[in-house]
Amino acid sequence: MDKSTIVCRCEEINIDEIETAIKYGAETFDDIKRLTRCGMGPCQSKNCIGPVNEIIANNTGKQLKDLPLTRMRIPVKPIKMKVLVTDIENSSIASVLAESVDEDGDNR
Amino acid sequence: MKTDVLVVGAGPAGIKAALTADRAGADVILIDESVFLGGQLRSQTQYFSNLPKNIDSGLGIEIYNELENQLNNSNITVFTNHTMVGSFKNGNIGVSNGEKVLEIQSKKNILAPGAQEEALIFPGWTLPGVMTAGAAQILVNREFVRPGNEAIMVGSNIFALEVALLLQQCGVSVKAIIEEQLNIQCKDTSKLGEIGNIPIFTSSRIKAARGRGKVEQVIIETPNGENELYVDLICVANGFRPILEPFEILNCEFTYKKGLGGWIPKYDNRFLTGNPNCYVAGNAAGITDLGPILLTGEIAAWNALGEIGLVSSIVVDKKIKNLWVELSRLEDEYVFKERLNLINNTSAIKY
Amino acid sequence: MKKFDVIIIGSGVVGSSIAYHLSEYKEHEILLIDKDFPLSGTSGSTQAWVWVHTKVPSWYGELSLYSAELYPILEKKIGDVEYNRTGGIAPFFNEAEREKAYRLAEKQAEVGIDIKVLTKDEVLEMEPYLSSKIAGATFSKLDGTVNPFRLVELYVKAARKNGVKTSYYNRVLDIVKSGNGYQVKTERGTFLTTKLILAGGPWSKDLGELLGVHIPIKQVRGQIIITEPLQPFLKYTIGGIRQTVNGEVLIGYSKEEVGYDRRTTLDVIQQTAKMAIDFIPALAEANIVRTFAGIRVMPLDELPILGQIPGLPGAFIAAMHSGITLSPIVGTLMAELLTEGETSLDITRYSLSRF
Repeated sequence: MDKSTIVCRCEEINIDEIETAIKYGAETFDDIKRLTRCGMGPCQSKNCIGPVNEIIANNTGKQLKDLPLTRMRIPVKPIKMKVLVTDIENSSIASVLAESVDEDGDNR
Repeated sequence: MKTDVLVVGAGPAGIKAALTADRAGADVILIDESVFLGGQLRSQTQYFSNLPKNIDSGLGIEIYNELENQLNNSNITVFTNHTMVGSFKNGNIGVSNGEKVLEIQSKKNILAPGAQEEALIFPGWTLPGVMTAGAAQILVNREFVRPGNEAIMVGSNIFALEVALLLQQCGVSVKAIIEEQLNIQCKDTSKLGEIGNIPIFTSSRIKAARGRGKVEQVIIETPNGENELYVDLICVANGFRPILEPFEILNCEFTYKKGLGGWIPKYDNRFLTGNPNCYVAGNAAGITDLGPILLTGEIAAWNALGEIGLVSSIVVDKKIKNLWVELSRLEDEYVFKERLNLINNTSAIKY
Repeated sequence: MKKFDVIIIGSGVVGSSIAYHLSEYKEHEILLIDKDFPLSGTSGSTQAWVWVHTKVPSWYGELSLYSAELYPILEKKIGDVEYNRTGGIAPFFNEAEREKAYRLAEKQAEVGIDIKVLTKDEVLEMEPYLSSKIAGATFSKLDGTVNPFRLVELYVKAARKNGVKTSYYNRVLDIVKSGNGYQVKTERGTFLTTKLILAGGPWSKDLGELLGVHIPIKQVRGQIIITEPLQPFLKYTIGGIRQTVNGEVLIGYSKEEVGYDRRTTLDVIQQTAKMAIDFIPALAEANIVRTFAGIRVMPLDELPILGQIPGLPGAFIAAMHSGITLSPIVGTLMAELLTEGETSLDITRYSLSRF
């Protein structure tokens, strides 16, 4: 197939870019993802995982059953920030500055 | 929000699981991301006959209507347009309707997210006019939109042929069916008869789709050389893959079973996953047909009921035994063998 | 048995940087081993700030400063790692914190880290999308960001070009003292080496155990939100938030000790989203496409562990939080130490022997 064929349509990554990552040593979908951004778009690899794993199998001689899944994380589908927050009133996440200086203003 | 059983996904498996739990007296919440219930079933106009003994044969939409009828006569709390977002540290599931996130605390979860269609890449596959067979079916049967005028179908499994026929019925000229393998994949000879004069090219594939801003032309490679066809619709039926996101978020383990659609959540003979509060049902437990899909929903629900303590273990064991017998009768032999294979190797699940 | 001068265990940002800097001397046969693949661990799950101004004690701030100063030079050598010295803003929300901010500025000035303590109006003029509820902020021109994927990829590429051998998907099973060197037993065979560097990040403790050495680090999970790509609207790196070159906004500053569990949880993600909106109200309308978690490498006193391992000649360690910020200086110093036996900056404060 033409090497310029798009595999990941969200990030417009083509076969050639994926094969280049494999030549660099990538063996799994997530290896390729971090090198190329393949699968990092809005669909979060729901469409390209199958085709990419076939390209890996064809290039490395590995079987599909030996190719691990990509990591799947919250949210299952994109969600607006304000919807996610819902009725949380106070964030418990520390601030960078507050962490840097303790009550005495010295090192932690 | 508290409940006995939370069912995620209101396709046939999820609905069946919810109904089973409801009838035994459990509080049930059933959620689906769509505003429609029934998943793909409500868009299916093909005839189903190989069904569990308490369900009448009929068109997909008729079977769905009967399930909806039963839902309407139940105490199940149904949330349409609610998507699972993720899980909290305490294991509760967060769902959202696009306005806020609701935390649902359930004793048991039954996850029935279904399957998604596998993409097929070829030069030009991202052009408008290329879509999955399932998408074409939804456009025609649910949205009443004709997806194109002149089409080809890629794939020759039973679903591909059914959708090709549907397209023809609504006035789309299906110019060819393309199959990469040596043989036509559909084993149902009556379906092949219905296909009639649509040419089927085996050992063939799409070389490229072309067009300005949309599909206008497709070039296919056949053993007898290249063929150029002028079409505005390319339907792809490249098989199904279980949807796994909810399972990973809930810390279930996975295993690979080719005959069940590739990677699936590990589960045991109770359809219990690696998370002791999560059952799996439907196509997510392995790609199969409508009859077995309904049975898996029922099996999962009975086990959840038993664990919650709403039904005695003697009753559960008896129900499950009968349902497994029925599953072995209805399910494709190879698929069932793969399922047994999975279950027999699942002692490794860590609870 | 294949023999090397130096084996580096761990091909994250720290191990890969050391491999590259050491290979620049062209004196050593070097093997870089990783149990997975570069970027599969901590270095690939970070916001990747090159952050200086709030790092205390000030002598640690100074080390971070030197490292940040090396980035422009590094880019000329290994290629474009998308280092962007945006300047860094650390907001505060009440006036009581302004006093602390001044004290920080005073301390850091002693080592040449220039911090401005800004009023609310000054901050909002610089970064108009910040919340009008903030009271002020500390600001430094020295802070910035880098693309961690490009950074590690290019360290490895440059190291390979200099002759470094890499062995990925190869777990180290055991390390045995052998003559005046070490035998490193791996899934893909046993190698001999004169010098050994442990750069295992969150797994440093496990590697230490193979040598009978206690490496006092904790694993601290941080959960991060990624938005859809947005129009560029944040000029600066904000403590907890940055916008990447392609427009996504990364948000997160959570800390949990849950072992090596990289899942994200709705509790912390909701809290993080709340923080995002508290800082930048306009983010309320942004879509979140992904969350991820990284496992920080946190030495018990939170300062880098760097240098020779006491009692084990030829064995070295480099384990630290902020490996992205520190990788250029740590690579440089470790390469000096292994090649010349001494470093251009005194690193005795960072020795494992302090614990």
